[in-house]
Amino acid sequence: MTNSAPETLVKLREVSKEYMRDKIHVPVLSNTSLDIPKGEFVAVMGPSGSGKSTLLNLVAGIDRPTTGTIIVAGQVLNDLSESKLTRWRSHHLGFIFQLYNLMPVLTAFENVELPLLLTPLSKRQRAEHVRTALRIVGLSDRMDHYPRQLSGGQEQRVAIARALVNDPVLLLADEPTGNLDATAAQEILDLLQQLNEEFEKTIIMVTHDPRAARRAHRMLHLEKGTFVETELDALEAAG
Amino acid sequence: MKFLPYILKNVLRNKLRSVFTGLSIAVSLFLVTVLYAYINMQDEVGKESEKYARIVVTAKQGLMFPVPIAHLDKVRAMQGVKAASPLAWFGGKYKDDKIPFAQFATDTSAIFTVLDEFTVPPEQLSAWQKDRSGCVVGEKIARKRGWTFGDKVVLKGDIYPVNLELTVDGIYDGPESSDREMLFYHYEYLDELLKQARSQLAGNAGTIFVKAQSADMLPSLMTQIQARFASSDSPVRAVTEQAFRQMFTEMLGNVRAYIRNVALAVVVSLVCVAGNAMAMSLRERTREVAVLKAIGFSRTTVMSLVLFEAMVIAVGGGLVGTLGARALFTFGDISFMAIPGFAAFYVPWSTVIFALAIAAAVGLASGMIPAWRAARMSVVDGLRKVV
Repeated sequence: MTNSAPETLVKLREVSKEYMRDKIHVPVLSNTSLDIPKGEFVAVMGPSGSGKSTLLNLVAGIDRPTTGTIIVAGQVLNDLSESKLTRWRSHHLGFIFQLYNLMPVLTAFENVELPLLLTPLSKRQRAEHVRTALRIVGLSDRMDHYPRQLSGGQEQRVAIARALVNDPVLLLADEPTGNLDATAAQEILDLLQQLNEEFEKTIIMVTHDPRAARRAHRMLHLEKGTFVETELDALEAAG
Repeated sequence: MKFLPYILKNVLRNKLRSVFTGLSIAVSLFLVTVLYAYINMQDEVGKESEKYARIVVTAKQGLMFPVPIAHLDKVRAMQGVKAASPLAWFGGKYKDDKIPFAQFATDTSAIFTVLDEFTVPPEQLSAWQKDRSGCVVGEKIARKRGWTFGDKVVLKGDIYPVNLELTVDGIYDGPESSDREMLFYHYEYLDELLKQARSQLAGNAGTIFVKAQSADMLPSLMTQIQARFASSDSPVRAVTEQAFRQMFTEMLGNVRAYIRNVALAVVVSLVCVAGNAMAMSLRERTREVAVLKAIGFSRTTVMSLVLFEAMVIAVGGGLVGTLGARALFTFGDISFMAIPGFAAFYVPWSTVIFALAIAAAVGLASGMIPAWRAARMSVVDGLRKVV
C-alpha cells in the first residue's frame, strides 16, 4: 500500500520582487521558494511591508516577479501574456479582499454574477450558479440587497460567493477579516474552513490575526521578504 | 447585451453628473441639428423642386428689376408650357412683425397648377377667384396666426407704396418640405392699387413661375424663353426652380462652410466636456476597475464597457437634443427663426440620423482616453488606491 504525495498546486521557485520608488530599488521578496499542495489552507502572516500582499499578487498573476518562477495549477505564470493571464485568472482563481470591493451599484446577485458574465453560460445557468454560491455563503435571502444594505460580514460573504462562483481551484484572501468585528470574523473564518474542508478549495490567506491563522493547516511567516520559522503560540503570546 | 444592466447602472451611478453631461450634449446636439437641418432642408427642397419641373423667369439684371406682366402671355404661348403665373413679392408689414412672411401677388387661375404640390379645396379656390381682395394662406401660417375664413389681413406696403386689405378665402396645404407659410392674393388687385397710386411699379410681374409639361423639356424651354425676350426692352433670365433657390443661398455667402465650422467647434467642445465627465467618473471607480481586472475582465472588455457607457450618455443626450429639435420645428411656433426667401424651417429625418451619429461619435471620442487609461491601469496600483 502506497500513499501518493498530494499534487502541488502552487509552486514558487527563487522568486524575488523589487519595486522602483523614486529611482530607488525596494526589495520586497527575496529568493522565496514555496510549495502549496492542493487542498491546503495556508495562512501567511508577517508585519506590514513584509511582502505578504505582494506574495498574494504574484500568485494571482496580477503582478510579475523580478526573478524566479511561479507555477499555479500546472501553469507557468511567467510565460503568459497579460491577456492570457487575465483569462487564466478568471478560470482558476477566486479573490477575497479586506475591503470586500463589491460594486456598489449592483445587488448581491449581480455582484456574484459578474465573473460569470465572462463565460459562455446562459442567463439561466448563470442564475443557477449565483444562487448556489449565495446559498453556500448563507445569503439566499439577501440576493436583491445592495452592498449598502448589508452588514460588513454579509458584504464579505457576498465577496466570497463572487470568488467562489466560477468554482476556482485556488482562493486568495487578503486579510478577509481585517475589517470585521470578532463575531463576523469568526463566521467568515468558519466559512473559509468549510470551503476548504467540504469543497476542497486550496486557500492562501494573508492575515495579521493569529486566531485567524490558527484555522489554517499551515502558517507561513514573512519577515523582510523571506519566510522565517515561527511558532504560532509564540506569535500569539507576543500579541 | 449581458453587460448592459451593469453599464446602465454605472451611467445612473451619479445621476446629477450624468444628467448634466447628457443635457450639455442635448443642448449642443440641438444646435448642431438646427444648423445642419438648414443645409439638409435646402438640399431636400432643392431635390423636391427638381421633380416639379418648374422654371423661374426673372429680369436679366436681377431680382430687383421688373419683368413686365406683358411677358406672361407670351410665355404661356410657348410650346412645352403647361401653366405660368406671376409671383410678385409684396414684402408688406403685418401688425408688429419684424420679418415679413411671404406674400405674393399671383394669377388665381394658374398658381395652383404651377405650384401643384399644394392643394386647396375646390370651393375655397372658387371663392378666392371670385373675391378680388381675397387671399389664400398656408396651413402652417393660418394655424400659427389663428386665421380662419373671412378674417381680415392688412398688409402695409414697404417696397410698394400701397396697403392691402385682404380677406382669407382659402387655406392651402402641402408636403412637409414645402413652404406652408405663404399668402397668395390677386395680381389684379395689387396692379389696380398701383395704377391708382400712379406707381411705376404697376405692370410688374415680379417673377414668372412656369410649369413645364415635363422635366426633360426644361433646358429647351429655358433657352426658348431667354431667346424670346433677348432683344426686348426687358430681357429675362430663365433658370430652374432649384437653381433659383440656390441663388438665395449664394446671396448669404458661404453659409454651408460657416455652419460646418460652427458645428465642428460645438462637437469638439462637447467631446472635451463629456470626456472630462467620463474621466472624473472613472477616477472615482479606479478601485472597481482594478477589481474587475483582478477577477478576469480583460483590457478589451474593460475598455468596451467604458466606451459603451460614454456612448449611452452621449446618444441619450443626442436623442433628447435632436428629437427635441425636430419636435419643436414640427409642432412649435418658430416663426421668429424663419429666414425670408426660404421654405418654412423644418428638421428632416436625415438630419436627425446624422446628429445621432455625431452623438455616438462624441461618446466614442469622449470615452476613448478614460477607457484606454482604465484598460492600461495596473491592478496592483488600482487596488491600493483609496478613494
